[in-house]
Amino acid sequence: MATLHEVTTDRLAEIDALDLTDRLRALREAVLRAPRMISADRAKLAMESWKETQGEDIEIRRAKLFQKIVENVPMAIHDLDIIVGRETEHLLGAPVFPDETGDALPGLWADDDSVGGMLFEGALSPTDKEVVRETSAFFRGQTAPDQVATAWEAVLGSWASDLTDAKGSDPSPDSGFYPGITARGRWELILSKGMRGMIEEAEAGIRRFQEMKETDVDKLYFWQAAIIVCTAMITYARRYALLARELAAKAGDPVRREELEQIADVCEWVPEHPARTFHEAIQCLNFIQVGRGLEAMYPLLIGRLDQYLWPSFEADMREGRLTLERAAELLGGALTLWGMKLVVPVGKTQRETHQVSFAINSVNLSGVDADGNDVTNDLSYLILHVIGLLKLSAPTVLVNWHSQVPHSLLVKGLETNYRTKGGIPLFENSDHVVASFVADGFSAEEARNWYGQGCVTPILSTRIDHNGCEGKGAVNVAFIFDLTLHRGIAYLTGKKIGIDVGDPREFGTFDELYDAFKRQYEYVVNRFLWLGTLAQSVEPKYLRFPFNSCIAGYGCLEKGQDIMITDADHTYGISDRAIVDVADSLMAVKKLVFDDRTITMDELLRAMDANFEGNEGERIRRLCFNAPKFGNDIDEADFMVREVGRFSGSVINAYQNPFDVPCKISREGLSWHYFGGLGVRALPNGRKAKEPLDDGSMSPMRGMDKQGPTGVLRSVLKAGFDESYASCLNQKYSSTLMRSPESREKLAVLTDTFFRNGGQHIQFNLVDEEELLDAKSHPENHKDLVVRVGGFSAYFVMLSPEVQDDVIYRSEQGC
Amino acid sequence: MCEEPTWDYETLMPTLVTDIQGFSIHDGPGIRTLVFLKGCGLGCTWCSNPECISGRPEVGFVRNLCIQCGDCAGSCSVDALVSEAGRSPEIHRRRCNGCGACAAACARGALVLYGKAMTVDEVFDKVRRDRMFYEASGGGLTVSGGDPLLHPRFVRALFERCRGEGIHTCVETSGYAAWSAFERVLPATDLILYDLKIIDEEAHGRYTGRSNKRILANARRIDESGVETLFRLPLVPGINDSDKNLADTACFLQSLGPRARHLQLMPYHDYGRGKYDSLDRAYIPTDVVAPTAERLEQIRKELAERGIDCSISL
Repeated sequence: MATLHEVTTDRLAEIDALDLTDRLRALREAVLRAPRMISADRAKLAMESWKETQGEDIEIRRAKLFQKIVENVPMAIHDLDIIVGRETEHLLGAPVFPDETGDALPGLWADDDSVGGMLFEGALSPTDKEVVRETSAFFRGQTAPDQVATAWEAVLGSWASDLTDAKGSDPSPDSGFYPGITARGRWELILSKGMRGMIEEAEAGIRRFQEMKETDVDKLYFWQAAIIVCTAMITYARRYALLARELAAKAGDPVRREELEQIADVCEWVPEHPARTFHEAIQCLNFIQVGRGLEAMYPLLIGRLDQYLWPSFEADMREGRLTLERAAELLGGALTLWGMKLVVPVGKTQRETHQVSFAINSVNLSGVDADGNDVTNDLSYLILHVIGLLKLSAPTVLVNWHSQVPHSLLVKGLETNYRTKGGIPLFENSDHVVASFVADGFSAEEARNWYGQGCVTPILSTRIDHNGCEGKGAVNVAFIFDLTLHRGIAYLTGKKIGIDVGDPREFGTFDELYDAFKRQYEYVVNRFLWLGTLAQSVEPKYLRFPFNSCIAGYGCLEKGQDIMITDADHTYGISDRAIVDVADSLMAVKKLVFDDRTITMDELLRAMDANFEGNEGERIRRLCFNAPKFGNDIDEADFMVREVGRFSGSVINAYQNPFDVPCKISREGLSWHYFGGLGVRALPNGRKAKEPLDDGSMSPMRGMDKQGPTGVLRSVLKAGFDESYASCLNQKYSSTLMRSPESREKLAVLTDTFFRNGGQHIQFNLVDEEELLDAKSHPENHKDLVVRVGGFSAYFVMLSPEVQDDVIYRSEQGC
Repeated sequence: MCEEPTWDYETLMPTLVTDIQGFSIHDGPGIRTLVFLKGCGLGCTWCSNPECISGRPEVGFVRNLCIQCGDCAGSCSVDALVSEAGRSPEIHRRRCNGCGACAAACARGALVLYGKAMTVDEVFDKVRRDRMFYEASGGGLTVSGGDPLLHPRFVRALFERCRGEGIHTCVETSGYAAWSAFERVLPATDLILYDLKIIDEEAHGRYTGRSNKRILANARRIDESGVETLFRLPLVPGINDSDKNLADTACFLQSLGPRARHLQLMPYHDYGRGKYDSLDRAYIPTDVVAPTAERLEQIRKELAERGIDCSISL
């Protein structure tokens, strides 16, 4: 195995020297300043179409709905646009999807502006609000999530909605969040064949009927629908071409005029035909993403961007048609669009779980080919560089670590972390992901072409995946532990969600407690998974995505089958979150109540029920804090995490889904820990009721790791987390650890060593001003915050107030 | 006939350690673990680790961590702690024997014991845990303080353990120690980080409490010993950043062997201030301001003109 493309040091230096062009700087400012708008246009067109197609087949109806939208939705080319295409005419706008989610916008029927306020004060104009209300009422009760809820209620009564109300899962089973399926665009195919190629494939399918070789009429409808949506997509691009020509004719500035003419040329060619240039390739990608975004609410996933764009980039550079500056500008234009794509949260929980309403347009860089060769190229670096210059909080960028990844790419990634003030990119261990897929029976060749969904969840490029679908995104393990201590009664609602596993005061040994937790866990998780399986059989009756099927579904066009129709070629996944909270809690009970007998179970439960208030509560809370915690290289605490993780994994793996495909566990985090904590009482690890749970799925409890970064990594490696395809380790450092190239070099070695020893993921965040201020006033929560300068040892909380202010000031100055 | 005992006296003798800090990236090559030992022959006014100066265990009180819970009341057996619920404790420094009972009683970590007696084995057990990171980065152990040369037997024994497992060894020193201490430590040392604070003897005495004769003499002998050495200047504006001291330092380095042409500048910072407060000690250099990037660059140029190549530790 080898590196296929050597990135020269000269090229790296050229990339490092690039700065933002005036246009990109202005575009960045514009999108950061622009008001965020909700647009009713899509909803209105969807409703009109649905009225027109009554009585037709569901697949055809959905295709015509898509056609109606893309042929009529208002569009705009903004002054700074170089890559064109947005779901609405606004610089920052979000369509709504009552046809998918029904009447699910929180606050829509309130008298105030709470629904618009989700995105931006005044985001929904009074006229648009009327339309959204009308369309929501029109689709109310008829959508897939509505029908799923009805089916659930028929079998389990109110259990599913009780679980939602108690905040026991994410997203809630009723939320209608991700009613679709996740799959990235088949970019290699789209860029090399164009929409025309897709249409020809569908026509070939229809011919099979004419030749009397097929009888399944669902396939006929699917291929007919495919022709409708692909043709509509060509029309959509042509509308942009026409608009660009009109604007060019009116443009006063000759430079802009020529640019608009060029944009028009590009839009006339792609996505209908194969992309011939880098510009055409990026424009094609964006059109397709917008098309997907007009059909389905949450079309994520760009995938391995540096790979798809490489052929056209390489050819253009070789022929002298493209400069690095121009390539950076085109990339910057597209990344700004993808990073700032807005989504209006729906359902009971989504608004709380995904407060930042940006679609997660994940971009992956580096990785290996089917044979395991390193495929890092110039674009891997260039894309990181442009992200670092744009300093946007999205899109999510994943650097695919593998055993041959160039060290310089890790260093570039860390530099980008520093420039964006942390978080972007994240690093994920491809070797572990591939090994996990292989262990579940996939070939290594197929496994190597994985990409990260949203943040870390790996998806095979060649599969349609159900991670986060059918209402089962994540199980809240801490919630179930909390049920265990309270005889199955949920904190927020007082309703019984679990089973009565006995009064904890009666438990004579630690094992009795742990067994009780296990029984509770099996009960809740099996019900939860079963609800998801039931939903799989309901949803396709009411919802189809013909365009996303053509674009993203491997096998859909070939089989003549919509992406929503579940089969054994699909993959399935789930996330079991808050493993560390539960393990630390078990550890504390074991230590305090059973091993050392420092306190009784009754004392502990009383203190927790009183939320650790009062002197006695505070005393017990301090004992809880001082019990061994994960993240400090303490064997018993680390092995407890390993035990709980393995147990949880075994329950999920034991669940038999209808197609007998192994359920992959991947523990992504997002900002879920805030939401996840809301329904959980005080825990024996010292966390108070409603406080956030642990951030990330492998991160130690907030402020509780005191052995520094390497101590955390050793604990993580010891706990293993092998049952999971991917997990999250969020590390927060003060800028003293990242500001010099030398220290970033050392962090790159740290990252590399961690992965070589089996680590799955790491993400470096710079501690921001707000957090430092919090550390100053609530030092007990931030004891882990290290300040590193030569020959000096101290934790942030031990610095004097003046010095703390200085560190805070410096963190904002980026010095 | 009586056999030699197989145990090693040095390894069993505990030494006071104030902190063991993993992932240290500024003190020697690669990723390192820094072990801070207690006790120093100098008393530099700008010292950022005041808890390491005295060779005896001390208790620190970090006021902003205290919630006045009164848990520490009654923990002191020598009557050195005034404490009750509702107020912050006070430490009678003269009476305190540094036993750490009060720190043990404080679950919040507001009372801390500076100086935990640890054996070579105990320290080495912590150090070796990061071996995978040392190997990948070319890092290892750095012993700091205080001045580790006050504990030559301990350091030598610790370093030999490291060498046995291929871990790089580095010692950070003020140079103010008996030459015999260096002789003991050097054979097991891969790198010395050696401070040159002020070349003028009178000024050195004024700011550090001691003459620098011994430091400069040791520097020469270290240089002659052939052990890799990096000279470092803790740059304190108004105290040792004068043209004269910079010229003197360059001149001194020029008088050494040809390898001594590099100087690492350690810019002054006041991060240690909180630790002075915790020890009820006054922080003296209150009017010193950390050097700016421009000033550092200017100094770097000046020294370069004098044939000394400078790096700046950030």
